[in-house]
Amino acid sequence: MANAQKSLLSMNEHNKYIYYQVVDLPGISADSLYKNAVYFIKQVYPKTKPMQMSNNSIIIKDKFLTYTYIVKHEDGEIACTLSIECKEAKYRYWLTDFVFTPYEKNRYGLFVPINGIDIPLETAISKVTKKELDGYLDQTGSFCKQLSEKLKKYMAEGRAIKKQDQPPAKVVTDKW
Amino acid sequence: MKKLLLLSLLAVAIVSAKAETTAPIDTGKAAAPAPPDPPLVFSGSVDTYWKYDFAKRANIPTSFASDQNSVSIGMIDLGLKKKVGKASFVGEISFGPRGQEQSLPDGSNSLDPIVTPGVSSYHIQNLYVSYDVTDKFNLTAGYMSTFVGYEVISPAANFNYSTSYLFTNGPFQNAGFKATYAFSDKVSLMAGIFNNYWNTYTSYSSTGESLGSGDVSTFGAQLTVTPVKGWTAYLNVLTGSYSGTEFDLTTAYQITDAFKLGLNAATFSPPHNGAGFDGVAIYPQLAVSKVVTFGLRGEYFDVKKGGGNVTGITATANIKAGPLTFIPEVRFDNKTTAFYAPFKDSNGVSTNSASQFLLAAVYAF
Repeated sequence: MANAQKSLLSMNEHNKYIYYQVVDLPGISADSLYKNAVYFIKQVYPKTKPMQMSNNSIIIKDKFLTYTYIVKHEDGEIACTLSIECKEAKYRYWLTDFVFTPYEKNRYGLFVPINGIDIPLETAISKVTKKELDGYLDQTGSFCKQLSEKLKKYMAEGRAIKKQDQPPAKVVTDKW
Repeated sequence: MKKLLLLSLLAVAIVSAKAETTAPIDTGKAAAPAPPDPPLVFSGSVDTYWKYDFAKRANIPTSFASDQNSVSIGMIDLGLKKKVGKASFVGEISFGPRGQEQSLPDGSNSLDPIVTPGVSSYHIQNLYVSYDVTDKFNLTAGYMSTFVGYEVISPAANFNYSTSYLFTNGPFQNAGFKATYAFSDKVSLMAGIFNNYWNTYTSYSSTGESLGSGDVSTFGAQLTVTPVKGWTAYLNVLTGSYSGTEFDLTTAYQITDAFKLGLNAATFSPPHNGAGFDGVAIYPQLAVSKVVTFGLRGEYFDVKKGGGNVTGITATANIKAGPLTFIPEVRFDNKTTAFYAPFKDSNGVSTNSASQFLLAAVYAF
């Protein structure tokens, strides 16, 4: 489902996987971009407290589920850190610190995290097979891409997004 | 009928898997606005084994892996779960000795714990519905795997293939209604009322008649504590006038990425002043590579009121090849003469020790 999405990830200077983007938005001030970023955080992470939220930058923890491919069920979760920084007419954001926690099926038929197992994706090859790691990287790339698209929309449109979410205008059908 | 049921389940799974290929990945954030509901999840396992008792007879009487010098089957286990908003369900069925007469009650014959093989088993391991009243408060009702004990019925969720005396003598399932409240990430409490008898699909009257009125009179509670990352402890109690009272401590600590230590201790007092048991089992496990983990189970189990005791040592390896796990295991049990298990040597003479080797294969999907 997310073939080759791992190619969206790069390695940073600390040899950690990173999804990094710089976006130009000419004519929009740093202050406005920061307000849009704050709005994005409040809408997408309403109950998560950011690790940092000042000086035109935001850092927040996120996580997403990974699934097995053939018979689809939860396989684990990957925690990560999202950082956003705003300047005049441009902003940048990146996702990094990807840490995989495997899931196991419990007695109630539910898949739950294995407490105490945290595997950074950079060193995961020593804990999981190459095929499994490729799958996790693909799903990480796919997650980053989806979150990136959502963030770009918020950063470009800000609170206008809310108006777009309103129900469509009513049509009067008895007069034509 | 069973084939039809299996085919239906597989068809549902295939349709759901196909429909989900374009679904967005669940971010796992319960707080996100309108998150996508998790897909209909299908999972399960199959297992098979060969066991050889060195006395050339099946001596050790704990659950499953019962057949001597035979390539035998455990069970095929098929589970479905779905969550929409705050409401979810789990349905899990099983077929085979391990998933029928060795772990499930007879669906028709009151308190008889032995199913007529293949005839009257309902095949149900888990069947419950659940509702998240809030992020921290959950209500669940139905027929559920018991919350008591370290080991479970599914071979995919156990490290050792053979089971402990604590497992065999404790509850397997409890039907009832429970509420769970999470005080924090580190502490939660479950309390519930369950049918009067363990391991039955329905409650029964005190005389065991299914048509008489039973009652939902067993109280159960579980305090879950996570003192530090990697360490979880469950303090369990299950008490009622029909099935007795069991206090249980189940805990596991993933001390390093490679080393895990588990512990189970329990004491059971049956009703009517019968003989219960005390027991403790310890489970050290060491992962030596990404595919091989070695583990030991050391158990001491004592039947109260002079019923004797047994000490069991089980050495097990889990060797993974993708979803398939090979489980070679060797086990030595030593008991006192009074202990109920009738160990015999290869000449048919009573003895106080038994040992066995088994090789199992478990495929989980």
